Amino acid sequence: MRLPRRDFLAASTSVAALGARPALAADKEIVIACSLPLSGPAAPTGITTQRTVEHCCELISQEGIIIGGDRYKLTPKFYDNKYIPAEAVSVVEKVLADGVKYLFVTGSGNSVPVVGKTTEAKVLQLSGASGKEHLTAPRFPLSFRVQPTNETAYAVYPWLKTAFPGVKKVAHMDPSDEAGFTEAEDRTMIAAKNGLTNIGKEFFKRGSTDMYPVATRLVGMNPDIIDFGGTIGRDQGLAVKALRELGYKGQILLGYSDARSFVEIAGADAAEGTIMFDTLVEGKTPEQTAVVDWWVGKYGQPFPSYVFLMWDWPFIFADAIRKAQSIDTEKVAEALRTTVHKGVLGEERFGMKSVYGIDCSLTRQIPMSVIKGGKPVWLATIDWPAGV
Amino acid sequence: MTLLVQIVLSGLVTGLIYMLIALGVTLLFGILRVVNFVHGELVMLSAFLIWWIGIDQGLTLFVAIPLAIIAAAIVGVLCQKFLFKRLQYDMLNCFIVGIGASFAIRSASWAIFGPEPQAIPAMLPGVLRIGGVFMAKQRLLAAAICAVLALALWAFLRFTRPGKAMRAVEQDREAAVLMGIDPESVYMSAFVISAALAAVGGLMLGTIFGVDPEMGAEPLLKSFIIVQIGGMGSIGGTVLAGLFIGVADSITGTLLGGELAFIIDFAILMLILIARPKGLFGYDA
Repeated sequence: MRLPRRDFLAASTSVAALGARPALAADKEIVIACSLPLSGPAAPTGITTQRTVEHCCELISQEGIIIGGDRYKLTPKFYDNKYIPAEAVSVVEKVLADGVKYLFVTGSGNSVPVVGKTTEAKVLQLSGASGKEHLTAPRFPLSFRVQPTNETAYAVYPWLKTAFPGVKKVAHMDPSDEAGFTEAEDRTMIAAKNGLTNIGKEFFKRGSTDMYPVATRLVGMNPDIIDFGGTIGRDQGLAVKALRELGYKGQILLGYSDARSFVEIAGADAAEGTIMFDTLVEGKTPEQTAVVDWWVGKYGQPFPSYVFLMWDWPFIFADAIRKAQSIDTEKVAEALRTTVHKGVLGEERFGMKSVYGIDCSLTRQIPMSVIKGGKPVWLATIDWPAGV
Repeated sequence: MTLLVQIVLSGLVTGLIYMLIALGVTLLFGILRVVNFVHGELVMLSAFLIWWIGIDQGLTLFVAIPLAIIAAAIVGVLCQKFLFKRLQYDMLNCFIVGIGASFAIRSASWAIFGPEPQAIPAMLPGVLRIGGVFMAKQRLLAAAICAVLALALWAFLRFTRPGKAMRAVEQDREAAVLMGIDPESVYMSAFVISAALAAVGGLMLGTIFGVDPEMGAEPLLKSFIIVQIGGMGSIGGTVLAGLFIGVADSITGTLLGGELAFIIDFAILMLILIARPKGLFGYDA
């Protein structure tokens, strides 16, 4: 039998490559189940998150997580929770049955119903979700939140007071679900603490088509600013469009979504002047630029700003495992509380013990953007407030 | 008073758009006794096609809209020929298969168009202000187009030969066949008209609410409520019920909060069905 030269070269290269592997081969893996909305109205952020986490885990695996003499790679396994709590519970039941010890889940409605189950099974739960004591508290020592959500108000409202001194009256608009109620409660409390007057709280069904009814109520309150709180995705664009069509001239504050997609839905005129919290749309540092370049190189334009929000947590998680020198979830959880990570959004650490009684929620600088000329532009970067 | 006018106007405008979509549902039910679950996906597919051809590919809306209507009609006829006809227009089988086809089309659109919501620019941008009442001009245009199309459908069914043939098949299929009417061609025409109405509905929704793979679900649900209240198969009933539900939604949504709108809709539906099981203007099948 004659072996073609091309096949021979390929085989030789493979053998050589195998021989050249380091002694610490990446044979072991740490699996993290990722429960995301990969279909349904929240899918845009879910798919962006999936792509980001997948890439970050690849980078981490290339470097490897060394524990003693073993080298681990970090493998994400993605599940579609459709942003439906019942689906999220089914995902977690499957994950627990498979013996997976780490879970990442997005969406408050998907995170809160499963935290009891993960705590009982000693699974470390990392949530990208709004939440309070029902998600992160001393009774859930393995539950962390990897994205400042309702807590951003602790940083944003003091800044708002100085950056927009004319703003005195706040109205809140949130979806009528777990995330919305949590956001509304916290933001109302924090706005009042900062001397602003809360003049109304409005809730709407997530995914509603017609925003005129809720917008009519809000316009009638005549607020200086409307805080969209837990409103995300298409709902933001439709609500802003409806508000402007109904003659609302005041400020609008929103976050959690892709800025360009928001402008597309709302329309450039309606979106103009919208203040976007925790939103960075362009690379301002070499690290941030590298993230943008990766996305554009792989998926093309446009770059979804949400990538930045999901970028750092896998690296913090990997750092904590390295620090714990163990894959035991309790040891990793303790290491997470003391891990300080220099990420694309600055120095990050789990804090907020003063609010939740345990360091469990990610704290960092909050980038602010504003829509100008139909495009999101950087407005400010707010430091995390001292003592929170 | 201004608030009341605003609420009623908003409701009438939205109601007219839902009414147009519901007309497609009630037309098919009236003629074939088939509840077409694919209708909502035709709304979505048409909106995506208009966005893709007119905006993404830059061929303008004047090219995109007729192409989308033709494409929707073709999909409608394909559904008729290869789904509903094969099931001999059996109501239950068509209902179940329609749900399956609806999910399949929605999933396919996720794969083809992606999850990102898109927007079709308003054909009539700007806001009209009369006193303290505001309304986007595009909404008013959409409402006017929907009203004209509803009137055109009524006139078509009332005064044209094919329209009369449809009504004949609707009233008595056997007698219509004896009169030389081919029911299959009537069915095909009904699917074409129904799909075209869905396509125009998709355009209206797309220009006002944006385009995404889930956009057909809520209008379809509203359509079923409207059609049930108006009476399955009744064009006039559908028009009145559409306006009624639009205003009811607007009043409950504005005065009591959006969450209550669907509850009130279903409560109205239940009350009407208890009092008049065939809906306000329904009749025996």
